[in-house]
Amino acid sequence: MLACGRLQPAWTLAGIFAALSSRLGGDTEPLDEPSIQRLVEQARSGDRIAAQRLYRQHVDRVFRVVRGVLRSNAEAEDVTQDAMLTVLTSLDSYSARSDARFAAWVTSIALNTARRRFRRRRPELTATGELPDVVDEHAEPEGAVDTARERAALLRALAELGPTEREIVSLRYGAEINASEIAEIVKLEPTNVRKILERTRERLGARIEALLKQGAFI
Amino acid sequence: MTDAEITELWVTLEPSPRERARIENRVLEWVEASETSLVTEWLDLIKANPIGGLGLVAASALSLLMLSPVGWIASSILR
Repeated sequence: MLACGRLQPAWTLAGIFAALSSRLGGDTEPLDEPSIQRLVEQARSGDRIAAQRLYRQHVDRVFRVVRGVLRSNAEAEDVTQDAMLTVLTSLDSYSARSDARFAAWVTSIALNTARRRFRRRRPELTATGELPDVVDEHAEPEGAVDTARERAALLRALAELGPTEREIVSLRYGAEINASEIAEIVKLEPTNVRKILERTRERLGARIEALLKQGAFI
Repeated sequence: MTDAEITELWVTLEPSPRERARIENRVLEWVEASETSLVTEWLDLIKANPIGGLGLVAASALSLLMLSPVGWIASSILR
């Protein structure tokens, strides 16, 4: 059924190549904003391949942000799923702006979804983080251990931050959006966001370095 | 730590391949489950390609009719 709804785009050669490309992981290269906006327009007019490409362009970013805010991978997985569904079903309510990228809109939906989850069940952030449930089989074992150690250090350092600081750094480093875009999402002045970012980056960086030196995670 | 180093560190929070596949399956499953009706799809097909689309729609409607109990009853009456 997936390929039959709007046959025009799906059955063209370009559509078939796009489908193959996304199946083979060809959507992992980040697209520029004009390309993203084109995908939004195509997805709005019913092009499912475009919707899938939009999904694949943003899903990891959303997961990185919500994982920084929530306590576990399982919660991050649920929230990412809900947020991406909201994104794909609310494209008609999105209006393009020159001062904020599409990613900022997606991320604001993700953060609001995470906040609702936070309110429903007050999470205790993981103190130690957790190992990934699947280690990349192609990665060197040593590299996988390093990644797990860094991840655990980051999660522990994040757990020691206040909720607003955690949200702001997660948006900055997880979604890679700028201070003005963050300010709009967290409803603060951009200057305040920049100050918080500066202060938190120093604190977070120092804490992560200290934790990695201790090396007490694994 | 620099901005770039912290950004790089955040990559460690990405979902595992298994988590990524689970999320994708659930999202795309839901999107497919909320697809448009067959009639809407036929209309879209005709809009996209009026001549070829009409032929395909007629063929699929006929095959649906012939394979359904309504089709069996109709054909047995006609015989």
